[in-house]
Amino acid sequence: MLASLALVVSLISGQGYAPVRPAVDPLDQQREQRVMRLGKKFRCAVCQGVAISDSPASMARAQLDKVRELVAQDRSDEEIETYFIARYGEWVLLEPKKDGLNAFLWLGPVLLLGVGLVVILSQVKKKTVATVPVEAPASDDFLAQVRADLDKP
Amino acid sequence: MRRWIIFSIAAATATVLLYVFYAGFGTDPHAVPFMLAGSKAPMFTMKRLDTGEMVQLKDYIGKPIVLNFWATWCGPCKLEHPTLEWGYRKYGREVVFLGVVFEDSEENTKAFLKANGGGWPQLFDLKSTVAVDYGVAGVPETYFIDKSGTILGKYAFPIDPPTLAKRIEEIL
Repeated sequence: MLASLALVVSLISGQGYAPVRPAVDPLDQQREQRVMRLGKKFRCAVCQGVAISDSPASMARAQLDKVRELVAQDRSDEEIETYFIARYGEWVLLEPKKDGLNAFLWLGPVLLLGVGLVVILSQVKKKTVATVPVEAPASDDFLAQVRADLDKP
Repeated sequence: MRRWIIFSIAAATATVLLYVFYAGFGTDPHAVPFMLAGSKAPMFTMKRLDTGEMVQLKDYIGKPIVLNFWATWCGPCKLEHPTLEWGYRKYGREVVFLGVVFEDSEENTKAFLKANGGGWPQLFDLKSTVAVDYGVAGVPETYFIDKSGTILGKYAFPIDPPTLAKRIEEIL
């Protein structure tokens, strides 16, 4: 509701664009490649599922510049990831981590598939070994009479 | 017995998955989480636009702080400006108001402030690194920092007078 209101307000009041700012000096080739690789991992805060290295949004450029600054300080990939998660949560990761509850999301469907497979296999096996039902001996006179009538030529 | 084990595993797995899906359906996937509530405010040094002097956040620790990220190209920020001006007039003696100009030019900001007023310090976040340090996900965003320098909350929309007053009361 509030987001919709903000959108309406911004449309009415003429939301503008951030002025073009001078580009930040790139690092050396090797470290710049690392910046771009890390930039693919993090989600732009104002876009819809776009990596900060792929977005032209001013916020994404600011986030990428932060990655560049941290790379220039020789921070490890884990430290840079921790920095972004501390500010934007795991939401910032385009590929969620595979531990904790997330691990269950990754493994849950596989586990359910496995259980289903076990159930199907056990049913198939049961059907194969099932014995052919033996004809029950006639136990009442009426049934005996019917069988006798049927056997008549 | 074996059948019960399989059934229990399947039921447990399905229950957890259903819970995760239920929790997921209840949240906006585009909403950026606010992670810094209860954390110490990241320190910064920025240039004050009116005097040109460098300002450090640590100089203001000890007083409650209202830290507002904004830009002149942002329509909602323009709508919010009179509210902040009202808040500054009403609470300016007890609370430090700091504006942080995000992704903008000094010329645009000075021209806007000349035309619209605003007596509280406006700081220029040259490379927007302070905005990222605070987990800003768009403008305007207003952070409320208590006397000890702890971030108590943020407001990510154009703030209105009752909300501003309520949030300020929380940090006083």
